[in-house]
Amino acid sequence: MEREVIQSVGFRNTKENGEITGFQFKVRLPYYRGVFLSQLRPGTLYVDGEKFEKGDIIWNIKGEDYTYEEMKEDFKTHWAVTEPAVLKVKKMGGLSQGFHELVYGFCFTSSYMPPVIQEHLDPDAESFVFMPEFGHHVNKRKLLIV
Amino acid sequence: MYKYDWKGPKRGVALYSYSAEFGLTKSLEECFEDVHDMGAHGIEILANTHIENYPYPTDEWVEKWFRLCDKYEIVPVEYGNWIDSHVLGSRDLTTEESYEMLARDIRLAHRLGFTVMRTKMPVITDKLEPVKNWREIIKMALPLAEELGIQMCPEIHTPTNLKGDMVNDFVSFIKETGTKNFGLNIDFSVFRTEFAEGEYVDPNYTPNAPEDLIPLLPYIYCCHAKFINMSDTFEETTIPYKEIIKIFKDNNWDGYLLSEYEGADKYDLGYEVGQTLRKQHIMLKNYIGD
Repeated sequence: MEREVIQSVGFRNTKENGEITGFQFKVRLPYYRGVFLSQLRPGTLYVDGEKFEKGDIIWNIKGEDYTYEEMKEDFKTHWAVTEPAVLKVKKMGGLSQGFHELVYGFCFTSSYMPPVIQEHLDPDAESFVFMPEFGHHVNKRKLLIV
Repeated sequence: MYKYDWKGPKRGVALYSYSAEFGLTKSLEECFEDVHDMGAHGIEILANTHIENYPYPTDEWVEKWFRLCDKYEIVPVEYGNWIDSHVLGSRDLTTEESYEMLARDIRLAHRLGFTVMRTKMPVITDKLEPVKNWREIIKMALPLAEELGIQMCPEIHTPTNLKGDMVNDFVSFIKETGTKNFGLNIDFSVFRTEFAEGEYVDPNYTPNAPEDLIPLLPYIYCCHAKFINMSDTFEETTIPYKEIIKIFKDNNWDGYLLSEYEGADKYDLGYEVGQTLRKQHIMLKNYIGD
């Protein structure tokens, strides 16, 4: 697993019935402990400036798909710090060959942190004070599609 | 299972210290070997971090866990868990649901051979006061903890003061219930006296004197040996370690001091927290005598 949140391994176009219908990439959890899915605050994805809404992104944890709405209520499924999640996005024809700039934001809640910090969590903007053990909210990486 | 018979304060490491390296450049086994290199025998894990497939590890993983403990002469001392009652954004977990989360961790801690849990409470104020129903949640869990020989301990951490209301509330609860299954984990950040120039200091913080530990000793089942700055001559320059360890020794306290390094510099590229931990363990070994 790479130190970067957006992993280079796992970024590719995806097929359904032999046709390219989207793409996927992997992110690791930049926190010192795993989280239950309802702690996640997924944000917006931009690929070369094209916007993908948080509700349109499927998270795959340990081989299971979860929608944005499903994750909100799921406090039993745990995402480990050692296992990247696969993010799946629908896009007919997929992404073109060559470089793509991915910008993706997500963050998570912590029951033991002061409420004032929790209430203002925004996955698409950095926290007021950067704390390395919570990672950055918005992560960027330029990666190749073959 | 490996046993370590030294009486008095004993050395251990909280694996949280490896947070910048775990899963990237260090495996669980490498963390164990690092602790073994230091001649320390105690370990604290974070359940949600270090247990593969938490909260439902396989029997094979549990076997591997005990194999590692034997191989590296490690005692499972403290199991770090969270009562995450704010886990849902829409509502808080009920007392019953919070208890179920806690009971699952008590059973798992016991399955892995732990006797103490660092039970983190969910907070409701910026002064880190615990949820209003903490007494009900803990009371529900006391019979199970007693049955499985587990002591649940909230961590007392800066800016909390050992003489303040929070500690007082916990001690009153212990006295009222007469329980031996709920106690305290003291984080040595409460003794910190030195700060770097311009460093932020919480306005609610007043340092405790090492003697403030004495009335609490019967309820302390474990400590976080927090350290901030180790000199190259192996002294901690911000916390009066020599005096703290003397209090534990003079009062015949028996338990583990688990090193915890929280400095943000551990996230710097190339930083090796194991070397920082070794500096502290040279000091601890000298003061403890083992």
